[in-house]
Amino acid sequence: MLGVIGSSVAAITGMNRLVVDIAMYFGLFVIVAMALNFQYGNAGIPNFGCAVQVIVGGFTVSGLTLRLAYWLVEKAGIQLLPYQTAYDWLYNSQLNVVTTNSFLKSHPLVGIALLLFSLAVAMVLGAAIGWLISVPAIRLRATYLMITLITMADASQIFGRNIPYICGGTLGIWIPNVFAWYPGDRGVITAVVTLAIGLVCFFIFRTMLNSPYGRLMRAIRENEITCQSVGKNVVGIRRNILMFASAITAIPGVMTAYYYSYVVDAMYQRAYWTYWSWLMLILGGPGNNAGTFLGCALVIAMRRIIIVYKWFFDKILFFPISYFEQILLGVLLIAVMIFRPDGLIPEKLLYIPGVNYRRLVSEEVKVDWRTAPKMRHAGRRRRFSLKFWKR
Amino acid sequence: MLLPAIWMAAIVYACEIAILSIGFTLTYLTAKIPNFAHGTYAGYGIYVNYTMSKIFGLNPYLSFPVAFFLGGGIGVTVYLLVIGVLTRMGGGAIVLTISTIAIQIFLTAILYIYAFWLRGVYHTYTLQFILKARDFQLMGMPGIFYVALSICFIAVIVLHYFLTKTRLGVSMRAVAEDPELASVLGINVNRTQLFSWFLTGGLAALAGAMYPMWFQSMPGSGGLIITSIMAGSLLGGMENVYGAIVGGFGVGLSEILLTNQLQDIFGIWVGEYRPLIPMFFLIAVLLIQPRGLQGAYDWLTKSKRGMELLAKLGIRLE
Repeated sequence: MLGVIGSSVAAITGMNRLVVDIAMYFGLFVIVAMALNFQYGNAGIPNFGCAVQVIVGGFTVSGLTLRLAYWLVEKAGIQLLPYQTAYDWLYNSQLNVVTTNSFLKSHPLVGIALLLFSLAVAMVLGAAIGWLISVPAIRLRATYLMITLITMADASQIFGRNIPYICGGTLGIWIPNVFAWYPGDRGVITAVVTLAIGLVCFFIFRTMLNSPYGRLMRAIRENEITCQSVGKNVVGIRRNILMFASAITAIPGVMTAYYYSYVVDAMYQRAYWTYWSWLMLILGGPGNNAGTFLGCALVIAMRRIIIVYKWFFDKILFFPISYFEQILLGVLLIAVMIFRPDGLIPEKLLYIPGVNYRRLVSEEVKVDWRTAPKMRHAGRRRRFSLKFWKR
Repeated sequence: MLLPAIWMAAIVYACEIAILSIGFTLTYLTAKIPNFAHGTYAGYGIYVNYTMSKIFGLNPYLSFPVAFFLGGGIGVTVYLLVIGVLTRMGGGAIVLTISTIAIQIFLTAILYIYAFWLRGVYHTYTLQFILKARDFQLMGMPGIFYVALSICFIAVIVLHYFLTKTRLGVSMRAVAEDPELASVLGINVNRTQLFSWFLTGGLAALAGAMYPMWFQSMPGSGGLIITSIMAGSLLGGMENVYGAIVGGFGVGLSEILLTNQLQDIFGIWVGEYRPLIPMFFLIAVLLIQPRGLQGAYDWLTKSKRGMELLAKLGIRLE
């Protein structure tokens, strides 16, 4: 919460490029991490396919919104260079985008409409991907599902790289600036919009988690069979959760495209979007949004500072600093899992307005579902009961 | 040349994928997790071969045993430092799988740093190389063809003997079935797990040492073939070692031969989609028959409809 407000204030001033960068990346990754927290931390679905949904968001902008923008510009009577064939689509991209930008500068409403259109389409496509994922998710074991999802992320990247009509193939494609009406820095306004979307998502997730539906999600996480026995449709609820969270996860893909004004498949690597988001989730502690915010802020600040001061590190070291970053990712992930399995901020009991927990639960028993021990004391108890039975 | 070059490439690749799939399946059986770092062990094999043959000028085949022991050491270290600790803490399958992904990222980065260090010290281009020129020729064919096939056969025979005849192998199978029951019978589960991690790591690095003899290699190429390994293991059913051999061979052969055939039919652009072939196998197997070939075989021989199908085809089982 405080992090969002603080960094948005810093982003508005726009004095420091690094602050804007950190704010932008915080906004992007906090949405992914919150959606992951919603799925894994609260509903217990290990979604390793965040990169698929994010890449769908990026492809929406490059494949659909860009064509819509060109169509609108041509409708307004401004001549564009040809863009129908793959060759023209790629090589006239930059000049066409410049023309489109000058059009959007005088028509701010069109720019906002394009942004809203791309967000809406990305969310619909993301939900479709979530539905697609939920088909094997119901049938497969968790580990098999992880394999399938990681593979799907790679496959979507291969399609993006080799079909120029989607995102320009290996060369990438330019994206018009939908914030052309803003007189200042484009990065600042993109960061502010992303942070605002993140804030809205935070409130949506918080409301959902504190509602009866959120309690049902946690109940499914703790014990699936109990929920089924009281007549809850576990499969349907899981599918809904996956679809909703996937729709939210597609938003960062859209905002990344607008931040760079450029889309290429390498921007949406699975190592980048899936693994770092999982590190944020596990570092902060799955199950509560405060932990996700803290983990996200720490990791993003560290990464952006390393990248911005790359020129300094490259003078000292004999290898590119990005490999050191990967070592950091691996070591941090394992160290957190071994030394702090609950994360920096462990999950608290759910707060429900108007319900006194102390009266409901006489003693605070917290079953840790992630590191649940394998019935250590079962043997001792059974021996006791056996004696009782013999007697 | 007895065989066309594309067939030899396919067979060498299939041997590597089969050996890697055996290790992947063994890890899945004993530790119950898909080890995403399995392909990265192969990357270490690649660099052992490169260091010994290119930097020190030795015969590349001398590096195979060294690679085996280095890979085994890495496997044991991974088990002792991470997997064993997390298992004792009671981490579930998801936590353990995430930890293997972290290990994969960590090991790949270490390998890249090693490659950059080699480049700085010896001033050779270490980031992309192929060691075909250092191979010997026998009857007009490169040596790696014979070596890969024989290593594959020897590995299968030794593993079969080990798993069915020796005490350690039988106890390993017992641990794979049920660790708690095995420990009740007096089997040291920890030591058995340790040996299985040594074996899988060693086999993976051995397969990796064969890789640069025919294919272009870089530090990340071990991590790139993990999809083929997983597809091969899943096709084999993830239930026993023999299925993994068949599945790995099938995926490895089809990945190269099918790409070649499709390129002949549709044009050269199909080559870009080569990584999709193991992915297709993987997803098709998981959606149609999650137990892979083993499940298909059981269905054919045990179910009524399968027997009818076999009878229609004119195959009779005794």
